[in-house]
Parts: sequence; C-alpha cells; structure tokens
Amino acid sequence: MSEPFKNPLVSTDLSKGSVLLEVDAAVYPLEALYGASYVFIDRAFVFLEKPNEQRYRVTISPKKPGADEAALQALVGEFSNELLSCAWRAQITQANRAVIEAVTLRAVAGAMGPPSLSELANFDFTDAPLEDPLGIAMSWEEKYKKKDKKPDAPVAAAPEKTAAPEKT
Amino acid sequence: MTRVSFDRSLYQGPCVDEAVKTFSAHASFQLTEEPKAWVVQLDAKTPELERQIAGELGNYALGLTIRTRGSRTP
Repeated sequence: MSEPFKNPLVSTDLSKGSVLLEVDAAVYPLEALYGASYVFIDRAFVFLEKPNEQRYRVTISPKKPGADEAALQALVGEFSNELLSCAWRAQITQANRAVIEAVTLRAVAGAMGPPSLSELANFDFTDAPLEDPLGIAMSWEEKYKKKDKKPDAPVAAAPEKTAAPEKT
Repeated sequence: MTRVSFDRSLYQGPCVDEAVKTFSAHASFQLTEEPKAWVVQLDAKTPELERQIAGELGNYALGLTIRTRGSRTP
C-alpha cells in the first residue's frame, strides 16, 4: 500500500482533533478563503489567522470530536478543493465584471419598460441636461433663428426700383 | 480558560462583539484589544463545552464578517 500524500503545508493535531492548513496569499485571494470557510462552518469549526503578509493559516476542527487522521486529511482535502474552486470563481468574476455589469444593467433597464405617458407628462424638461458652454447641443432653430426686429427701430425705406441700365 | 485571538485584518470588530453577545448566556467572556487582534477569553463549565463554544464563537464571527463584507462590496 502506498504512503498517503503528505503536504508540508498541512499538519494535523490529533490531540486537539484539528488540522492546520497554510495558504499562500498570493495564490488564493481573501475572498476565496472566506468563500471556502463559509461552506465549511456548518460541519466544522473554522478559524483564520494571518501569521504574515504572505500566508493565511486555517485551522479546521470537526464539530464532532474524535476524528482520526484519515478523517482530518479528508476534511482538509475537501477544504483545499473548495478553496481552489472559490479562487477560480473569484478570478472569473473579476475578469467578467464589466460584462456582467453591462448585461445586468441592460436587463434591469429592459424590465423597467418604456416610460408611460403620465410619466412623460410629469417629466421636468426644464432642467438643463448638461453644461454646454460651446453651444454644441443647441438646436438648429435656436442657433440660427432670425432675430426679432425691434418695433421702435426706424424702418428703412425700401429702395425704389431703378430702371435697368440701357443697353448700349 | 480558552483564549481566542481574532486577527483584525480577517475579522471585523463589531462582528466579534455580536458573536460574544450571542453566546454570552453559555459562558463568561472577557474582551481585550491588542494592536493586531481582538482577544476573547472565555470560561465555561467543562473543557469540552469550552471548546465547543469557542469554535461556534469563531464560526459566528467569521460568518458575520463574510456576510457584512459581502453586502459592503460594490
């Protein structure tokens, strides 16, 4: 029979009925560690420590006392798998964050539907939508409309129609 | 007496306080602060009960911390 796999980052303490796992902080983000721990807190006591900036230390103790070496090794193995899964999911979420946000925004906007007539009627269009110092957003009519003539201004007499020059 | 030291970078102080309040009927607790940790010392009737309460206390504080962080994360 072959020797069981020994991981230098794992140590079991049968007297306390616990297993200790050292986790590299550069490989596994804290979110992944939290995620894996949360999965296990219903069947084991999970305690986290940070002995230095590069490592986390996880102590896992089954809630039922009297666990043997094999049970502890199995437990820490399951925890390691869950930790890896959580780390991978965290990385996927991070990579796809922009896409997820865009899709969610579009879904929410679509679920809201178009505005009703009453909502449009109550909408305040007087608010300036944006600052436009260069007048770029100004409509054609506003920009090129004819100036109103002042009523008091003297009206220049229309020039009389002159006779067409005679042909020579 | 069992001493549990919660790392400040991993556990939120209010969550540890909440956990202690939750289990205060089952053991006597004493809270102190260290530069890098919230320290809880607890006394229970038997060593086995003390182990169980310390473990549940840690789980409760961890669970609260995770849930609080999750709701805070944008």
